Amino acid sequence: MTEPNPTIPEGTEPFLELTDVSRVYGDEVKVYALREVSLRIMPGDFMAIVGPSGSGKSTMLGLLGCLDLPTSGSIRIAGEEITTLDDTNRTRLRGRTIGFVFQQFHLIGHLSALQNVETALLYRGMKPNERHDKAMESLERVGLGQRWDHRPVQLSGGEQQRVALARSLVTDPIIVLADEPTGALDSKNAENVMQIFESLRSPERAVVLVTHDLGVAERADRKISMRDGEIVGDDRKVRA
Amino acid sequence: MISRNFRDLISVAIGGLLARKVRTLLLLMGPVIGVAAIVAAVGLTDSAKGDLKRKVAQLGTNLITATAASSFGSERPKLPVDAAERAEQVETVEKVSAVVQLTDITVSPYEKARQKYETTPIPVLAADTRLPFVLEVDMVSGRWISDADAEMDSRTVVIGSGLANEIGYLPGENRTVDLAGKPYGVVGILGKVELDPTLDNAAFIPFSAADRDFVKEDIQPTKLYVRSDDGTEQATADTLRTAISLGGPDEVATEIQAEALQLAAQSDKQLQLIVASMGLLAIIVGGIGIANVMSISVIQRSTEIGIRRALGHTRRTIAQQFLLEAMAVGFLGGILGVLVGALAILVGVWLSGWVFVLQRWIPPAGIVLAMVVSVLAGLYPARRAAKLEPLETLRLG
Repeated sequence: MTEPNPTIPEGTEPFLELTDVSRVYGDEVKVYALREVSLRIMPGDFMAIVGPSGSGKSTMLGLLGCLDLPTSGSIRIAGEEITTLDDTNRTRLRGRTIGFVFQQFHLIGHLSALQNVETALLYRGMKPNERHDKAMESLERVGLGQRWDHRPVQLSGGEQQRVALARSLVTDPIIVLADEPTGALDSKNAENVMQIFESLRSPERAVVLVTHDLGVAERADRKISMRDGEIVGDDRKVRA
Repeated sequence: MISRNFRDLISVAIGGLLARKVRTLLLLMGPVIGVAAIVAAVGLTDSAKGDLKRKVAQLGTNLITATAASSFGSERPKLPVDAAERAEQVETVEKVSAVVQLTDITVSPYEKARQKYETTPIPVLAADTRLPFVLEVDMVSGRWISDADAEMDSRTVVIGSGLANEIGYLPGENRTVDLAGKPYGVVGILGKVELDPTLDNAAFIPFSAADRDFVKEDIQPTKLYVRSDDGTEQATADTLRTAISLGGPDEVATEIQAEALQLAAQSDKQLQLIVASMGLLAIIVGGIGIANVMSISVIQRSTEIGIRRALGHTRRTIAQQFLLEAMAVGFLGGILGVLVGALAILVGVWLSGWVFVLQRWIPPAGIVLAMVVSVLAGLYPARRAAKLEPLETLRLG
């Protein structure tokens, strides 16, 4: 199903690999949210997962983000099989390798922009000043260095999403998973956020945008189309 | 590494508490009230006891009183006429003083007050020359009844310090008070009698005057104050009963004053236990309150928990965060409770004139108790928080 990326040398290990993954809900009456899906997310991928409601996008996002476990099949992140890991190790692996951006931003209300970004760096044995510097650097990267002390309610939607982006990037994840990142934004802020996403293209990282906005999907290099719990298309755009 | 992570945990927990001040205040109420009640209960009764100890130290432990117990056929039991002499025969008795409670005498310090003192009579006691010496009480001013008063058959009266205040008697003032129509000259004010505060409001006259003016038959003491040799209080008290009655029909009751005070202290101990139990109950109810408020807080903060879990915070870390919040509430509540309790003791001591006593182990014990109850109360909410799945709390897609 997956077409090879011409810019990636053959034999390169995928960042994330789903093999025959199914996610089934219910005991007596089974509902297949995902049905034997296989997908490889490679270094440098800038991809969009698209599909209508009920196509399995959210389930896919939960599994890709290590937030859920499949009913069957295998998921490997950076070569590590997650289905056999216990909750603690899976959580640690998630914290190390994946950065999340949510449609509703999901910032912690009582913390400042800087503290929200720092939250992703807690419990890693870092010195407070080291953490502060790294978080500040990440905020500056999204253009919010001046607003580090503002709480979420003092920021616009676009700014909140940029803080969320800074939080997702501060741990240097190999995969940035974004769930409808422009869904709650006006067109100007959406454009601003998309430009930041586009600037994240890097061989050390993969960016995955889960969206039903075809405009967003068109800007990705690779488009995974889903329907009824299955991948029905994997199209790669060759950039000039 | 571990200590840095722990420091992160502390800052997150404290940040969580500071972010929701009203909720934190509600959480604090339980431990504060509970610890304050326990500290105040123990401290106040200890302070009262401290005051008793001071009194016992002041009075000495060797003061015994002997009174006539009710005996068959006698409406107002009295001691034998020579009770004081009989008591002196006991080897371990150091000194004795006898008093007679005189009845039906209206004392009137001035004419206009007669009606008042008819309704609330001032006790009149006939006393010997040794009473202040046996009670070990000094005179505030003037002198005590002397042998000369007896010899000269003079009408002299010594008044208690409370009575002197009440009637506005100034030290050294020449004044007479009316005792059942007879003028008695005030010669002195007796100091405060810690042992028997009723004496502070009494008027004391010589035996000779009582004999002449008020008592028709032989004058019989109603009470003896006895000082025994130190360490022989119980044996002396026991012997006195026989020594005074000499096998006669009169029954004699003796009481060691220090024991009476200790008995009073013991009844305070029961009160202390009751109030401390109420404090414990308050702290347990406070604990239930903490469990309740924190459980609601877990629901309110479920999105925050989901975010933290998505960012890589483990279940254990989430549980520890909530437990630390509970522990901080207990710690702070405990400290505030100790302060409030100590303040309550100070007020009590100030109002009652006691000695401030707060045993050294009480403040740390109060704080530890508050922390233990708070952590126990935080276990359930912490467990609930840790069990939350990020996918349950973060809406995706």
